[in-house]
Amino acid sequence: MGILSFMADFIDSLAKRHRLLPWLLAYALLLPLPFVLTILFNEYLIDLANRICLFILLAVGLNIVKGFCGQVTVGHIGLYAIGAVTSAVLSLEPGGFGGALGFGWPIWAAIPTAVLVTAFAGLIIGLPSVRLEGAYLALATLGLGESVRIFIAVTPALGSSTGLMMIPAPRIGSFVFDSFTSYYYLVMTAAITGIYFSFSILRSATGRAFQAIREDTIAASVNGINVVKYKLLAFVLSAIYAGLAGALFAHMPPGYLHHNNFTVIEMVTLLLMVVLGGIGNVWGGVIGAIVVAIAYDQTKDLVFYFMDRPIVFQPLVFGLSMVLLVLFMPRGIGGWIEDFQRNRRFVRRSEERLSGTARNP
Amino acid sequence: MRILNKMFAGVVAAGIGITATAAFADDIRVGITMRMVSENGQAYGQMMMDEIKGINESGGINGNMIKATLMNDECKSDKGVANANKMVFQEKVHLLIGSSCSSVTLPIVDVTAKAGVPQLVPHSTNSKITQKGSEWIFRVPVSGRYYGGVNAKYVGENIGTKIAYICAADAASVGDCANMEKQMKARFGVEPAYRADVQEKEVDFRSHMQKIKSMDVDGILVAALAETMARALVQSYEAGIGEDVRRIGSSSASNAPVPKIAGDAAKGVFFTAAYAAADQRPIAKLFNEMVKTRYGIHAPDHDFSQAYDLVRIMEIALKNTNFTGSLADDRTAIRDAIANVQGYEGLASGPISFCAAATPQCRDGNRTAVLIGYTKGGENFETEVLARVTMEPDFGLE
Repeated sequence: MGILSFMADFIDSLAKRHRLLPWLLAYALLLPLPFVLTILFNEYLIDLANRICLFILLAVGLNIVKGFCGQVTVGHIGLYAIGAVTSAVLSLEPGGFGGALGFGWPIWAAIPTAVLVTAFAGLIIGLPSVRLEGAYLALATLGLGESVRIFIAVTPALGSSTGLMMIPAPRIGSFVFDSFTSYYYLVMTAAITGIYFSFSILRSATGRAFQAIREDTIAASVNGINVVKYKLLAFVLSAIYAGLAGALFAHMPPGYLHHNNFTVIEMVTLLLMVVLGGIGNVWGGVIGAIVVAIAYDQTKDLVFYFMDRPIVFQPLVFGLSMVLLVLFMPRGIGGWIEDFQRNRRFVRRSEERLSGTARNP
Repeated sequence: MRILNKMFAGVVAAGIGITATAAFADDIRVGITMRMVSENGQAYGQMMMDEIKGINESGGINGNMIKATLMNDECKSDKGVANANKMVFQEKVHLLIGSSCSSVTLPIVDVTAKAGVPQLVPHSTNSKITQKGSEWIFRVPVSGRYYGGVNAKYVGENIGTKIAYICAADAASVGDCANMEKQMKARFGVEPAYRADVQEKEVDFRSHMQKIKSMDVDGILVAALAETMARALVQSYEAGIGEDVRRIGSSSASNAPVPKIAGDAAKGVFFTAAYAAADQRPIAKLFNEMVKTRYGIHAPDHDFSQAYDLVRIMEIALKNTNFTGSLADDRTAIRDAIANVQGYEGLASGPISFCAAATPQCRDGNRTAVLIGYTKGGENFETEVLARVTMEPDFGLE
């Protein structure tokens, strides 16, 4: 706790000088990570770090609509698919090896276009939220998300069952982002920027409007908040995160997409990240993504033998964790962080009062 | 001075020799990524591990043990790629085996090609896998391009050319459908009488079957994974399509759930595969008995036989590899040893041969498909061998 308090105080003091300083420090600290991982462990962990960065983008994005605005969406994975497939199709060469559609766009044009297309799709997926709430909204978004996957699965131009293959890696001049390390800098930058903007949204008037809607839609409406506008805005912002994550996933070596990457199981895993991390807490989403991705990776080669038969028990472990989390830790890891911050503030205020330095005694 | 030089060279050479031997007093690391989400899927992985255990118990590979790591990719490409990366860069495997699903194998080909790791494919049939031009890939099963040719020839010459197609959305089935369609057009100049693209796990085929019934077709090709195919077969009879309309299965008709779930509807269905449980060779009878005793499977399908053949091919190649202790060199040596496997006669429908060129002609090892028909469905299903056809190496290539 002492170290955590020291770190929190240090970050606070940096933020007082300039709000970007803690972020720049975090970025600087993460820059040498690939080299540290390679020297201490092995290259594979950089690949894992890359996937974690994508999960962070997804989880933080989902948190905007679900955590900040309180809209129960289960269609986020469909938006991820739209971002991935759009960027892949736009950047693939026409008449390429896989036989899918290709436009041969430069990747740096394909990625922002994919994000825009996904944002528009987010608007459409968000439309049911105007009329529906709770389980009904969940069902509607689940249907929309799953229909995206099915559409990809039955459309040969989008890869169908063979998938989209040989999707090019991003490049700047002759430098190609086709290794674990070079790709790390792309996805890590995107993840840090995504977290920063998530905090910015949370602390802005828009973020407060989202939270008001989450707490009570009618009360928010009575207080002059345009509920429809803000609900749709939450879906669009969330979709921008999903679109960017999807596009980066598509171009990540080996550059292959298949509709099986976007099933309900992936959506449930994403929900697990957000629930474990703590709904409504930005750091919770980040921690949830890290914990779930590492736990998944470390348990995937564990095979339990029962009567000489192998049983892959990972799905069981994940299912049980979800149930236990909801039962015993409904606010997730983010809840602990909030408690810690609240206690710290309380202790500091008390100390300031006792020493007579409080600004508002 | 010259004698001294020779002595020095001798000492260095001996040193290198000792180092090489000493450096390879180690395990041979093999990574396996497979679809282990079904009862049979788990049994394929289990059988591979059991066979590797058997090799180790009988002395290993020239005294070295094989250390195998088995991972489940759930037939999902992102998980398969993550498994492959983990095994290549963390476990530092000498050889990678995988995967069961074509959609997983396709991206892994790029991972192994870039990292320089030999890859043996146990089950995937999609013809594009070996067309990517990787010099590290070797396919044990029959490529989809051969299956399509054999099916089309038999159907066109013995059944008729008015065929309805039901194609599920998994990579293997789409490939099987496309290959059959292409070959029917090339050989007989006919298009499908009816074509329905359905979901991978479709449950309701009745509307398609009603349309097919009204079209008076000669046969129905059902290209789908086992459970889906079984449902389609049952519903074709429920729709009132008679026995005179022949049911043609894709290669996954070989999987046991098809006759078990379809029951009587499986009778008369024929398909191409790489192994027939009805094979009368002693090796096949022994294999059937082994699978029945060990895993409780009534009759092994071709995914069992291919997994078994793959382990035997791996054993031959590893025994012919001169390990040096340098991972990169050993991987290259294993690749070259696999490329030298010629005329392996195991359980497969035909001999399996590879060669050095990174072409489909060299890397699609088995060119012989066997045509199999179900003579009885249900738990104790029975099959018969209708024909065995070997194709030319460049058959089905553009």
